[in-house]
Amino acid sequence: MEQMTEQGIQIEEALDNIQKLVENIETVIRGKRTQIQFILTALLAKGHILMEDNPGTGKTVMAKTLAQSISGRTNEGGVNFKRIQFTPDLLPMDLIGSHIFDDVKKEFIFKKGPLFCNVLLADEINRASPKVQSALLECMAEHQITMGETTYPLEKMFFTIATQNPVEMEGTYPLPAAQLDRFFIKIIFGYVDEETELEIYNNYLGIANNLEHIRQVLSMEEILFLQNEAERVFIHAEIVKAVRNIIWDTRRHSDIVLGASTRSGITFLKCLKAFALVNGRTFVTEDDLQKITPAVLDHRLIYRNKDAKAKGLASILNKEMDRLSKLKLS
Amino acid sequence: MQIGRIHSWKKVTAQLILLALPTVALALYLLLNTNRFYSFLQNNWIEQGLYFTTGLVVSIIFYSYRFRFITTALLLFGAYFIAYKLLGQLSVGEFDAFFVSVKFLIFSLLFSAGWLAGYGFSRSRYFTIFWSVFLLGMQIVVVSKTSEVTANALISAFAPVLIYAFYIIYTSELIRNMNEDEPGFGWFITKRLAGFISLSVILLFSMLLIFQKQFNSIEQDWGGSQGGNKKNGGKESMTKQNKDGSLSNKDQMKMTGSLSKDKRLVFVAKLDNYFPDGKTPNPLYFTSTYYTKFDTATQTFEEDKNFPKNDLFSPDPSKIPLYFTKVDTAAITNTMATLNRKVISADIYKVILSPNEYIAPSTAFFCQPLPVENEYKKQFKSAYRAKMWVSDLNSAYFIYNPAGNKQLETFQQQRFQMLRKATSYDGLDKKFMDYYTYMPRNEEYNRITELATRITKDAKTPVDKMIAIRDHFTSKDQFGQPLFRYSDNPGIPGLPSASKLNYFLFENRKGYCAYFAGATLFMLRSLGIPSRIAAGFLTVDRSSKNPGWYWFYADQAHAWVQLYFPGYGWMDFDTTVPDQNTQQSPQPDGTPPMNTQQALMVADGEALSVDTIAKRVTMKVKKMLFHDENVPTPEAKDLLMDVSIASVTRDTGTGKLSDIKAGTNIVAVSYAEALKNIMANETDNLASLIVKLPKPAPVDEIKIMETEQQKKDREKQQEPASKPFDWAKALWIALGVIGFFILLLFSLPWLIWLYLNGKAKSDAANARIKAYNIYMASMYYLNQLGITRESQSPQQFAETADRRFGSNFNSFTNVYQKIKYSTTPLTAKEEALVQNFYEPFKEQVRNDIPFKQRFGSFLNIYNTLHYFTKSKIS
Repeated sequence: MEQMTEQGIQIEEALDNIQKLVENIETVIRGKRTQIQFILTALLAKGHILMEDNPGTGKTVMAKTLAQSISGRTNEGGVNFKRIQFTPDLLPMDLIGSHIFDDVKKEFIFKKGPLFCNVLLADEINRASPKVQSALLECMAEHQITMGETTYPLEKMFFTIATQNPVEMEGTYPLPAAQLDRFFIKIIFGYVDEETELEIYNNYLGIANNLEHIRQVLSMEEILFLQNEAERVFIHAEIVKAVRNIIWDTRRHSDIVLGASTRSGITFLKCLKAFALVNGRTFVTEDDLQKITPAVLDHRLIYRNKDAKAKGLASILNKEMDRLSKLKLS
Repeated sequence: MQIGRIHSWKKVTAQLILLALPTVALALYLLLNTNRFYSFLQNNWIEQGLYFTTGLVVSIIFYSYRFRFITTALLLFGAYFIAYKLLGQLSVGEFDAFFVSVKFLIFSLLFSAGWLAGYGFSRSRYFTIFWSVFLLGMQIVVVSKTSEVTANALISAFAPVLIYAFYIIYTSELIRNMNEDEPGFGWFITKRLAGFISLSVILLFSMLLIFQKQFNSIEQDWGGSQGGNKKNGGKESMTKQNKDGSLSNKDQMKMTGSLSKDKRLVFVAKLDNYFPDGKTPNPLYFTSTYYTKFDTATQTFEEDKNFPKNDLFSPDPSKIPLYFTKVDTAAITNTMATLNRKVISADIYKVILSPNEYIAPSTAFFCQPLPVENEYKKQFKSAYRAKMWVSDLNSAYFIYNPAGNKQLETFQQQRFQMLRKATSYDGLDKKFMDYYTYMPRNEEYNRITELATRITKDAKTPVDKMIAIRDHFTSKDQFGQPLFRYSDNPGIPGLPSASKLNYFLFENRKGYCAYFAGATLFMLRSLGIPSRIAAGFLTVDRSSKNPGWYWFYADQAHAWVQLYFPGYGWMDFDTTVPDQNTQQSPQPDGTPPMNTQQALMVADGEALSVDTIAKRVTMKVKKMLFHDENVPTPEAKDLLMDVSIASVTRDTGTGKLSDIKAGTNIVAVSYAEALKNIMANETDNLASLIVKLPKPAPVDEIKIMETEQQKKDREKQQEPASKPFDWAKALWIALGVIGFFILLLFSLPWLIWLYLNGKAKSDAANARIKAYNIYMASMYYLNQLGITRESQSPQQFAETADRRFGSNFNSFTNVYQKIKYSTTPLTAKEEALVQNFYEPFKEQVRNDIPFKQRFGSFLNIYNTLHYFTKSKIS
């Protein structure tokens, strides 16, 4: 009983922490609550996020703010945040690191690349060559790097925020579906509304740069704890069934060439749990399902045409939501 | 090469079971019906059904793969052609070749029909509609050619097709819209279909129940006398068919579009009327009734029950015991005929003429039912003897054209000569004259008067005027063609207001007997000659073998005019011109049902006991004829009878001894030799006579009489049928039913709301159920008011509602979601929210939306449908 209460308190605290984190980020990134929630969802689900939008919408600031809000073990000013600007001539080595000959020790030592960090901002990921892309995605999936005979584990908390320009833009290497699959969530960052835009400008004119005044609200341990908590969120059998139905419907849909995989389904469940936690709940509801489905599934599907892209998933989701909303309670 | 599939096996199975199977059943039914009336070389409906089925099934399976229709259809035709060529080479002999090729034609036609249907079911969405219309059209054609207009025939012909049409359209749409991968596909379809079928069965039966009377009236209205094997949609006929299949003359002579006739034998008569030479039979028209009044409103000749000097004798022969007589001498007096009159008799043997009908040459006054000889009992249902006060001057020969027969012409001239003596109607009862010369006065009738005056300007006496009128009808036009023609189908006048008689006389000049008779009647009446229309049967003497015997077929039903000549009485005149298109009935006359035996004893009374084994019947005799003499009957007496050789009859045909029950009214007739020598004295009464009779008394014939109760029942049964169909009433009923359904439809949203609201307000077992009920009711309420969820999440939807109404639906939704998807118990605050949410929320909604708008929204059935429609993947 006592343990239960303690756990209850811990949960309360954890939920508070999430709110604190969200609010903290919101002091810098205004009018993007949904996007912040999605990013935290990906973080808590131990996944990675892909943000797609035109340059200059605040993607980088977002990643930086998140990194700076978390205090690390080292007192170097928060977690280890790295940023890589992807370009066509980038090589895998530039990410992973390379063996360098140490003149003193007379041996090759491994010089860790930027991947060995807590929060990685992979900017314009689709401008790099497929080779680099796949190297990054491998690491994201495996949480470790193998060079020769040695395996180097990545940080315990390793979170990638990748951004990409819309595929239609020139000079891009579109990510293959199999690699897109590695991102738990893909969101369109989007512009802020007019009011917020004005607010942002005024803010800029007033206090020089908010980013420098960002507080560290959460410790890395707390993040890891939250990640554990996300695993324990209750998910009702009907919601699981709904996920199954949605996944199956994407495979059956006549205008969807490639439906969602089973792995996507598992990812989906993880994201649902994390999203519920981000929303301050310890159980998953219809709302979570409704809000998160496009972010989780849309980038995994290959549509036959634009019309299907616009309507396919929405109608599948709608059907399932309809079923759930009229579910008879006994 | 792998050919892609369009439908999964699941869908194909559903199509085969739910679409193909009923289609095959219907096709078999239609083929069975069609085969009964048409000849297809070899009428084997099962084989034909098999061709169709094969085509259908193969096609459904075939087209579940991605085959194109046009190419495959062309290939199929190619295959037909090659098969046909091969058949030509294979078959030996000319007949074989023909036989095989016709068989092949039938096969390919039915197979193609099945194939096409299969393609339609498989691929084309709107095919079922065309298919239903096609089948219905085909059925209309077949039915119109083969079936008679009876409610049952129509229902059995159209109900299957109609039900099928509804079913197939619904089911194909259901299958089309099904997601076959969904779990419980079969169960879902079964549920839907069961609901649909039970609903349509209920609807159909309630319709049949409600409209049964109306159906029967329609049957009477349309069916006319026809029956038989021809339909006569909308045609008039001179006879009407009773419920039991017997015929009566029609009560009313309507002047409607067309007349149809059939050639069934109605009755046979022996008429003892001969020309003065004593050998040449003199046939007379047989009168059933008189039409004395013309109703201008309905354009109908009417039977007037109270016409002056009623000389119509119309007993019900089925009510008179065998051999007993009914006489009405008032009929003779009322003829006001004294010159050249005599009494003759006629024996009438009914075939399909109604047992109640009394038909005889005018003027009858006597009716005596007779038994039918055993060997004729199959053909003739009943018989009676009639006696008439007939004029020597009357004859069927005088009526129609003698056609060059010198003897008949002489007779005709003599007759006219005689009738010319009657020149004036002075001194006749004014009421009588006024009644029989009445005609409506308006422009149209004035035209008739003008015509009559014109064509009779040279005629002095009534009979000459009559002849002039007849000559007008038989005259020729300037091209030497007959001016008037006989037609069963004269058409209807173009202008609705024009009197049909006018149209007949001046424009189209085509018609059947009722037209000629009607026109003649008005011409005569306009000239002041008392006249009336007689309806009955025209008599044709076709028999040289059996002089005096006449056969009457249904197409001999007729109408003509009767003129009154002072002193001579009513005379038949027929102005109808001969039908040039049809041959007069060529039917050979059968053997006349001679009645040779003489009834020695006739007893009328009530059966007391019947012993079917010992063949003994005891009856309580109420009246008795013995040696043709009435036996005085001071009181009823019991009589034991030996019925071992007796035949039992009833008006509708032969019966069985077991039909006689204690209390049945019967008439026993004996021709037994044993009775011949028993004589009744002057002083004998029933009691003393029965003592003289052998015990048991031998009886040869027993007729079962209809009791009053049975008669009433029968009349009751016939009564609604004889009433004209009340379209207005039917319309009101139909409108009422439709109105009720519309009302029900529009009140449906409200009724559902009442149910949900009631549930939400009631105390549920726990907060969980309570929250569920409240949530459902709220969702329904908002949806019905036009605030629909669409693709919003519950929370988003609740927020939308809250923004508008200032309610706390969102908080409730969150609690509800917690109840639904979490195992965490509710807090006290949340419990309170559930308990106190509903009424304030409704109040807030009501405050925002005015009553008028809410009322309108609740009439919107579309919103309700939207609420219950499952969202589909697009």
